Amino acid sequence: MIPAKRYHPLLMLFGLWSLLKNNFFIFIFLFVIKARSQSPFIIYGRILFFIVFGVAFIYIFLKWFAHKYELDGRSFHLYKGIFIKSERTIPFSKIQNVNRHTSLFHRLFKVTSISFETGMTGEEAAVKFEVVSQLESLRMEQHITSEVNDNAMNLSPSEMVVAKVDSIRIIHFKPMKKDILNASFTSLSFLVFIPLLLSFYSKIDEILHVEKETAGIFFYIISSWWIVTTIVVVLIMASVAFGIARAFIKYGKYEISSDRNRIYITKGVIDETAFSIAKEKVQAIEIKQSILKRLLGLAEVKLTCAGSLSFGEETLEINSLYPFLPVQRAYEMVSEILPTYEVTPKMKRLPKKSLWVRLFSPSWIWVITTAVLFYFRPAVLGVEQAWWIVSAALLLMIIAIRWLDFIHTKYILNNRFIQYKTGSLTTSLFISKREKVIEVKVTRTIFQKWLGLASIETINRAKPLQHNGIEDVPVEFADSFYKWYMGRRNEIEIE
Amino acid sequence: MYSQMNGPQKRLSKDAVKVWIISETITSIIGFITLGIFLYLDYRFSWKEWIGWILKGLLLISVLSAVWSWIKSFLLYKSWRYDVSEEFLQLKSGVLYEKHQLVPMTKIQSVATNQGPVLRKYGLCSVSIETIASAHAIPALPKQTAIELRNQIAHYAKIKEVEP
Repeated sequence: MIPAKRYHPLLMLFGLWSLLKNNFFIFIFLFVIKARSQSPFIIYGRILFFIVFGVAFIYIFLKWFAHKYELDGRSFHLYKGIFIKSERTIPFSKIQNVNRHTSLFHRLFKVTSISFETGMTGEEAAVKFEVVSQLESLRMEQHITSEVNDNAMNLSPSEMVVAKVDSIRIIHFKPMKKDILNASFTSLSFLVFIPLLLSFYSKIDEILHVEKETAGIFFYIISSWWIVTTIVVVLIMASVAFGIARAFIKYGKYEISSDRNRIYITKGVIDETAFSIAKEKVQAIEIKQSILKRLLGLAEVKLTCAGSLSFGEETLEINSLYPFLPVQRAYEMVSEILPTYEVTPKMKRLPKKSLWVRLFSPSWIWVITTAVLFYFRPAVLGVEQAWWIVSAALLLMIIAIRWLDFIHTKYILNNRFIQYKTGSLTTSLFISKREKVIEVKVTRTIFQKWLGLASIETINRAKPLQHNGIEDVPVEFADSFYKWYMGRRNEIEIE
Repeated sequence: MYSQMNGPQKRLSKDAVKVWIISETITSIIGFITLGIFLYLDYRFSWKEWIGWILKGLLLISVLSAVWSWIKSFLLYKSWRYDVSEEFLQLKSGVLYEKHQLVPMTKIQSVATNQGPVLRKYGLCSVSIETIASAHAIPALPKQTAIELRNQIAHYAKIKEVEP
C-alpha cells in the first residue's frame, strides 16, 4: 500500500520544459520574425500569448499541489483537478502492460517515466507518471504485480517460499558481440552513414560554400588513384564502424528476462526503455522474418498485447524480443518464457487450387499501371517500347510475389492453439490461444465456393486490433476452424 | 460449411425485402434526380464535352446499381441467418460474398434496437450489436422478436469472462 501523495517535484520542471518547447515557435514568430509588425493581429496575439503562457505557467504549479495518487491492495486512485475535483480508480487487474522510458532528461536527474497501460481506448487509457524516482517506479511495478500484498500478513511459511520462487528472475537473453555484429549487418545500419555524411556536407556547403572554393582539389583528388582508394577504404571502414555503433546504441543493452508470472524486456544504451507484461496477458505471438533474416537464419519474436506500446507521441518497438534472434533460439525462447504456449513445427500447406485463385485474381496495381503506361507511352532511357517491358516486368514480379505467398502460407489448429504463417517477402508466423481470440469470421466469394475454398479471419485484442487470416483454405478446414472456436467454452472461466 | 455443426437457423422478417427495395428505390430516385439536374445544366450551359461523358457514364452505373440493388434484396433475404445461444452470436449472410461470423457473448459490449421510418411502416426493428472488435447489425426483424432478442443478448452478455 502506498498512501496518497503528490507526484515527484521534478514534474514541474518537466512541465516547464515541455511548455517552453511547445511555445518556442509561437514566441519566435510573434517576437522575432514579426518583431516590427504593428498589425493589431500581432499585437493582440502577443497579449494573448502572455496571458495563455502565464496561465499555463501557474497551472503547472497548481496542478502539482492538487494532483495526488494512491495505491491500495487492488487499484490505483488518482486525484485530479484544482476547482473540480475528480477521483479515478483503476484496478490493477485491468493493467495489460507496463512501459518504462528513461530519456536523457530523466537520466540527468536520476528519474524515469512509467506508464501502466490498460486496454481501453481514449485519453485515460493509461496511468502515467511522466517523472518519478527510479525507486518509486520499481516499487509501484512490484506492488501491482504481486497479488499477495494484501494478505501477505497471513501467509504460511510454505506460501512465502512460493512467493519467493515466483519472483526469481531468469535472464533468457543478452546480446553477445556476435549478436550485435549480426544486428548491425542485418539492419543495414552501415548504409545510413553515407547519406548522413552527404546531408551533413550539403548543410556545411550552404553556410561556407565549400564547393566553390574546393573545386580544384576535387580534380586533384580524382586524378590520383591511391588517394581515391584510401578515401574509399576509409569511408567503408567508417560506415561499418558507424553501423556497429548505431546497432550497439539500439540493441546493445538488450535483456529479456522473466519470472514465474511476468516477462521483462529492457533495451537502449542512451534512451532506456523497459517493458513488462504478465504472461497470461500476452494475446498472441508473432515471429517475423524479412528476406535478409531468412537468409541469415534470424527471426524477430513479438508479443501482442492489448495495451498501448507508445510513449507519448513516439511509438517504441518495445514488445519485440530481440529482433535478430537465431531462429532456433527464438523458438526455444518462446517455450521458455511462455511455457503454456506450444509451437507446432509441422503445419498444413494450401491445396494447389488456391495457387490458381491467387494467380488469376486481378491485380489492380498492374491493371492501372499498364493502363497509364499504355496511355502515355513514356520512353525510358530512349527505349520506345519501354511501356510494355515495364508492364511485363511488373506482372512477373506480382506473379512471383503471389507464388511466394502461396509457398509460405501454412496453417494448423492444434488443440487450443491456432497457428498460421503468411507473407511473401516478409513472413510472419502467428500463434494465439483460443481464449485470446475475440471474434472469428469465415468468408467465401463465389469463386471460392466453386472451388470449395474459404477465407478465415481471427481478431485479437491489441492496439490497434489485430486482424489475421488466411485466404483460400479448403472449406473443410474453415468448417473445423469454426467448430474449433466454438470449443472456446471449455477454457474460459466465467465470473 | 456447417458439416460439423449446426449453422444458424433463424431468418429475418419476410417484409425485409420490401423494406430494402423501398429504401434502395428512394436512394436511387434521389441519385437520379441529382444526375438529372446535372444533365440538364450540362445541356443548358453546354459544359465541356468530357463532363457530359462522365455524367452519361454515371447514369449507366446508377441504372445498373439500381437494378442490382433490387436483385440483391431478394438474395440477401434468402441468405440471411442468425442465431443466439448462451455462448455465441452466429451470423451468416450473402450469396456472392458469403460471410459467417461467430461472436462470443462475453465480448459483446452493447446491444440496441433501431427503427427508421421505412422499418416502422412494416412494424420492424433492426438490432445492432457492438463488441470490442466490431459492430454488427441484424436488419429487419419483427418488433417483438427484435426486442426479445435484444433482451436475450443483453442477458447473456452480462456474463463476463474472468480476465486473467
